[in-house]
Amino acid sequence: MILQLAWRNIWRNPLRSLVIIVSVAAGLFAALAVLALYDGMLISRLRTVIDTETGHIQVHDPGFKDDMEPGFVIRDRERWADLLDKDPAVKYWAPRVVSSGMLATPSGSAGVQVNGVISGKEMPVSGLDRKLATGMAAGGWRMADSGSRRVDSGRQAADGESWMADSSLGLNDGRSILIGRKLATKLKLTLGSKVVLTMTDKDANMVSSAMRIRGIYESANTPLDEVNVYVRGTDLAEVLGVPGSIHELAIILKSDDSVSAVQHRYSSIFPGDKVESWKELSPETSLMIDTVDIYSYIIVIIILIALSFGIVNTMLMSVLERRKEIGMMSALGIGKKRLLMMVLTETVFLSLVGVPVALISGWFAVSYYHKNGLDLSGMGEDLMKSFGYESLIYPTYPADKIPAIVLLVFISALLASIFPSLKSVNIKPAEALQK
Amino acid sequence: MNQTVIDAHNISKVYNPKTIPVYAVNNVHLHLVKGEFTALVGPSGSGKTTLLNLIGGLDRPDSGNIFINGTDITSLSSSQLVKFRLKNIGFVFQSYNLIPVLTARENAEFIMLLQGMTKSERDARIEQLFRQVGLEGLDKRRPSGLSGGQQQRVAVARALATKPQFILADEPTANLDSKSASNLLDVMYKLNQEENMTFIFSTHDQRVIERAKRVITLVDGRIVSDTAEVNVTEAHKADG
Repeated sequence: MILQLAWRNIWRNPLRSLVIIVSVAAGLFAALAVLALYDGMLISRLRTVIDTETGHIQVHDPGFKDDMEPGFVIRDRERWADLLDKDPAVKYWAPRVVSSGMLATPSGSAGVQVNGVISGKEMPVSGLDRKLATGMAAGGWRMADSGSRRVDSGRQAADGESWMADSSLGLNDGRSILIGRKLATKLKLTLGSKVVLTMTDKDANMVSSAMRIRGIYESANTPLDEVNVYVRGTDLAEVLGVPGSIHELAIILKSDDSVSAVQHRYSSIFPGDKVESWKELSPETSLMIDTVDIYSYIIVIIILIALSFGIVNTMLMSVLERRKEIGMMSALGIGKKRLLMMVLTETVFLSLVGVPVALISGWFAVSYYHKNGLDLSGMGEDLMKSFGYESLIYPTYPADKIPAIVLLVFISALLASIFPSLKSVNIKPAEALQK
Repeated sequence: MNQTVIDAHNISKVYNPKTIPVYAVNNVHLHLVKGEFTALVGPSGSGKTTLLNLIGGLDRPDSGNIFINGTDITSLSSSQLVKFRLKNIGFVFQSYNLIPVLTARENAEFIMLLQGMTKSERDARIEQLFRQVGLEGLDKRRPSGLSGGQQQRVAVARALATKPQFILADEPTANLDSKSASNLLDVMYKLNQEENMTFIFSTHDQRVIERAKRVITLVDGRIVSDTAEVNVTEAHKADG
C-alpha cells in the first residue's frame, strides 16, 4: 500500500517530478561520463607508460640509478638475453646503454639522458619509430622494421648473431642522434643540425661527440621528450668506455597480469641486479591507479550532493502541499513510521527512476566514444602531453562501479528524504485539518 | 444497560494561555452511550470542532479527562493515541479528505490495510459497505471522478471500514447540495438504526439537527443545552 501510494504520489505533479528525474539522470550521466573519461585517460596513460616509456619491467645494476655512472653495467648480460629469449611470458625486450650528458649547440645547451639503443630491439619495446615526427630516419625505420619483423629482429639476434648488433635503422652511424620535438624547439634545432654531446666516461673523463640530428620524435609525454635523446647503443658503449656492455634492460610481457610473477622470478635468478616493475619505475602512475576509484567516487558524491538539494526542495514542496491530506492520514491512524516510510519511498522512487535512464544513455554515449575516440586536443593538447596524456581518449564504461553508484544514489535519496519526512511526521492533524 | 462510549470530565482547551486566554472548550462534561445519533450545534467559534478533535484524540485538552470505552485517552502517548484512533474512532470530514491518487475502493480500504486485515476480509467488508452507502459500481473511480455526495459516502465507508466504536463527523453535509446531504443523512441514520453505530456530528445544518436523537448546543466553549438532559428531566417528571 505504501509503495503504491508513494509511486502514485510522485506522479501527482508530473512536470515537477520529471524535472527532478531528468536532473538525476543528467547528473548521473555527467558522473558516468567523467568516470568513463577518467578510466579512459588512465588506461591510455598506463599503456603509454608501459608501451612507450618504461616497459613492464626494467633491469639495472643496483648502483646505476643513483648517479648513472657508466661502470654500473648489467653483469651476465648474455645469460639475461638467453633467458629472456626463451621466456614464453616475455613479448619483447631491449638492451640499452644509458648515460647523462650535456647537449650543446651554438645557441644553447641542455642536460639530457642519452639512450644508446639497438633500433631493431628498441622499436617494439618503446615504439620509438611510431613517435618519429620528422626525419630521414623515420622512413628508414618504418620501411625496414615495421610489423612482425620487429619480433624477428630480437629473436634472430639470439640465434647466433651478436645480440648487440644494430641494423642502423636511421641511426646510421655513431654520429646520428634522435631528439624530441620539445628539445628541438627549445634549442632551435632542425633535421641535420649539428650538436655536441658531452658525457663522462667510465674513468670519469669528459668525452664529447659531434652529432647530427637524424630524426625528431614526439611522444605523449613532452617532459620526457625534452630530456631523452637516442643514439646507437654500440657507439655509446664505446664512448663511455664499456664496449659491449649495457646498463638497462627493458622488458615487455605478453600480459599485464604477469608482471609480479616475472619480476619475482628474475629477482630470484639474478639477485645482484635490480629488477623493477613499471609501478616502481612510474610511481605516480601507480598512485593514480590506486587512487582513481576514490577520486571517481568523490566526483559522484559531489554531483549527488548537488542533486540532493533539488530533491529535498521538491519533496518539501510535495509534503507541504499535502499538509491537509497528511494530517487526515495521521488522524485516521497511519502512524509516524508509515508516514516516514511513505515520504522516504517517494524520495527513493523519484531518485531511482532517473538511474536507468542515465545508465542506458551513458552506455550508448560512452560506447560511441570508446569506439571512435574522444579528441580532446582542442582543450589543450600541449597541456595534456606535458602530463603524459594522449589527446585522443577512448572512454571506458565504468561497469564495475555501477552497483556502487546506484548505492550512492540510494543513500543520497535516503539522506535527502530526512528533512521532508520529519516535516511530514510533525504535521499535527488537528491543525492541518482546520478549515 | 446502555454501554458508555464517551465519558469526558471537566475538559478545557485554552489558546494563548499566557497572553489573552481564549477558551475554545471550557469545563465541558459529556457522556455518550452506544448507538447515539448526536448533533453538536452552535455558532461559529463556539468550540464544536475543538470538542470533536479532543474527543477524537486529534488534540489534547489542557485539563480534564476523556474516557473512550473506559480508556483515558488523555494519558496515552502520541503513538498509542494513533493506534487507539485507528482501532476505535472513525472520522468524516467536511471536505471529504479522500486521498486523490487512490480509487474509491482503495480509499475505503486504506484503514483496513493499516489494521492488517487480510484481502478476503477487506473484499467482504468493502462489498458490504459500498452496498450500504450506495456506491456499487463506483469503486474504481478516483475522487476526482465522483460527485461531492459520492465522495462523502466514500468517506463514510472509510470511517466505518474497521467497525469503530463511534464516528465523528465534522460538518459532513456542509459542502453538499440538499439532495446529496439528504441521501448521506439517510445512509448514516440507517447505519445507526441497523448497526447501532454511534455518530457525533458538529453541524449547522438544520436537516441534520432535525434527524439527531440528541442535540448538544455549545456557546463560547460551554454546553448551554443538551436535549438528553431535557429528556431525562421530562422522564423524571413523568415518573414523579
